[in-house]
Amino acid sequence: MSTEATVKAAPAKTAPAKSGSTILLAVTGLLTLGGIGLWAYQLSRGLYVTDMRNLTSWGLYITMFMFFVGLSAGGLIIATVPRVFGLKGFKNVSKIAVYLSICCTVLAAAFIVIDLGHPERLWHLIAYANFTSPLMWDVIVITAYLIVSIVYLRATLRAEKGQGSEKALKTLSTVAFVTAILVHSVTAWIFGLQIGRAFWNTALLAPMFISSALVSGLALTLIVVLILQKVGYLKADPESNSRMAWLLGIFVLVDLFLLFCELLTAGFPLGGTGFEVVISMLSGAFAPMFWTEVGGGIIAAVLLLNKKTQASAGLVALASALAVIGIFFKRFQLLLGGFEFKNIDYYSIPTGPAAWSNGVLNYSPTLVEWGIVVGVISLGAFMLVLGLNKLALKPAES
Amino acid sequence: MSKRLGMVIDTKRCMGCHTCAMACKVENNLPDKNWWNRTLTVGGDGMDTPNGVYPNVSMAYVTLACQHCENPACVKVCPVGATYKREEDGVVIQDYDKCIGCRYCMAACPYTGVRVFNWEVPKHQVDFAVGDSGVPTHQKHTVEKCTLCAHRLAQGMEPACVDVCTGRARFFGDFNDPNSEVSQLLLKRSHFQLLPEKETNPSIYFLS
Repeated sequence: MSTEATVKAAPAKTAPAKSGSTILLAVTGLLTLGGIGLWAYQLSRGLYVTDMRNLTSWGLYITMFMFFVGLSAGGLIIATVPRVFGLKGFKNVSKIAVYLSICCTVLAAAFIVIDLGHPERLWHLIAYANFTSPLMWDVIVITAYLIVSIVYLRATLRAEKGQGSEKALKTLSTVAFVTAILVHSVTAWIFGLQIGRAFWNTALLAPMFISSALVSGLALTLIVVLILQKVGYLKADPESNSRMAWLLGIFVLVDLFLLFCELLTAGFPLGGTGFEVVISMLSGAFAPMFWTEVGGGIIAAVLLLNKKTQASAGLVALASALAVIGIFFKRFQLLLGGFEFKNIDYYSIPTGPAAWSNGVLNYSPTLVEWGIVVGVISLGAFMLVLGLNKLALKPAES
Repeated sequence: MSKRLGMVIDTKRCMGCHTCAMACKVENNLPDKNWWNRTLTVGGDGMDTPNGVYPNVSMAYVTLACQHCENPACVKVCPVGATYKREEDGVVIQDYDKCIGCRYCMAACPYTGVRVFNWEVPKHQVDFAVGDSGVPTHQKHTVEKCTLCAHRLAQGMEPACVDVCTGRARFFGDFNDPNSEVSQLLLKRSHFQLLPEKETNPSIYFLS
């Protein structure tokens, strides 16, 4: 009887939603195609069309890779932790969180491939694998992580239909949780293990990456959930929203604490490369990004932890957006910082061609880079809308 | 016993003439604007400028290229082993065909600027190749650097930069041979390596 009622109610609700999602799919699809076109242009003309050069050999693409691995790992950790530790979870949104996480993993992998000089030689990673390389570790872990996430989502969907055991699901949750922690630690180690780059070489990097992942992953999940509640795809759930907002507030504070530890440790000696880095963040070239991140984080934490503002979906969405933007700036700053401080700084002729920009930070992404980034993000949006329509991602009760 | 090939550069003789940098560029047919070896001015903010205020001024030169480290940061991080250290003589070298262009080696190497990437199809000022015919063809979207003139080593010659040095400041040889000129120089003169705190143990020594 109740199934009849739901089936009858469905057409009325999905009719406007269907045309809305068709428009979304069309727009994101076109933007994705545009991105692919720009990538083809980049491959033929050369990576010269980006602003990366010999002394700043990584840029926006690797920043986005870090950022999306974080978004992905964070989302999956939030979805799996409750089941792993037997806590009250966010049951209504956990499937969406897992699917969102899968989309983010795909985007992260896309950014790596786009950054490569020879993507057609990707098979070399299997044929000539060098296992001392943190990049190779990350290729292995991210592949495993993508498979585990997909298997976990599938198992969750099947469990709802009565297939598969609760015990198997719990084991799978633990595997997914551990893999998510591993994936972002290994990504951190790509940077953190490099003694040659003072800005990156800290033992705190893996914990900081996981903390940033929790902040950005939960913030993104919260933004998507609030939007879906607003358009009627999900039922309003103020209690779950409040709990997620509160948790995000705590994560933001933890992240700020780790940042403070890093700054205090590097800055206390009042001299040396570490100190130079701190000064550049507080009042130098990195100051605008740094203070946006810290200021935004503090405002976000206040909005999320205060009972009154926590109840407003608009303010929570704003706080989440501030958190996500702050984490993006943190990633960008980390990447640029590694290249900003040169170990051998004596005057020399340039080693290669000049960059397009004369930016203060020696790197300012070109339109091609931004265009490709927009294209990849659109691909993620496309996958998200498609998944929300085609997969049973709504909570089981509705 | 395997060799440990490297160079000794006498900073007291180096006059910053850039001949070694030019010889490398020609010998290896380097693409436009790419330099594998450079002459750095240790002094003021510009080329050939000293630091300090006259009459208390000082100036020196450091010629910088791949250090062919004993503990190379680059070799560790290359995911496909396109950059590797040769067993028989310790030369750190690139296999352009394996390189996937990820540029991790460029991020890992502490020696600023010694690794260069071909951001576009290699272009040259003249429409014919210059230098030695044994030099591997430059490829777009791969990383390159000083090869210690491996193509010359294979013919029993010394690197081009050592050959042309006008101040006779550059010496090449095997550090595993205690009687080689380079080993003897290290015994007789005070010397330093660049960035020793980065634990790479370079095979390039500078006499001070």
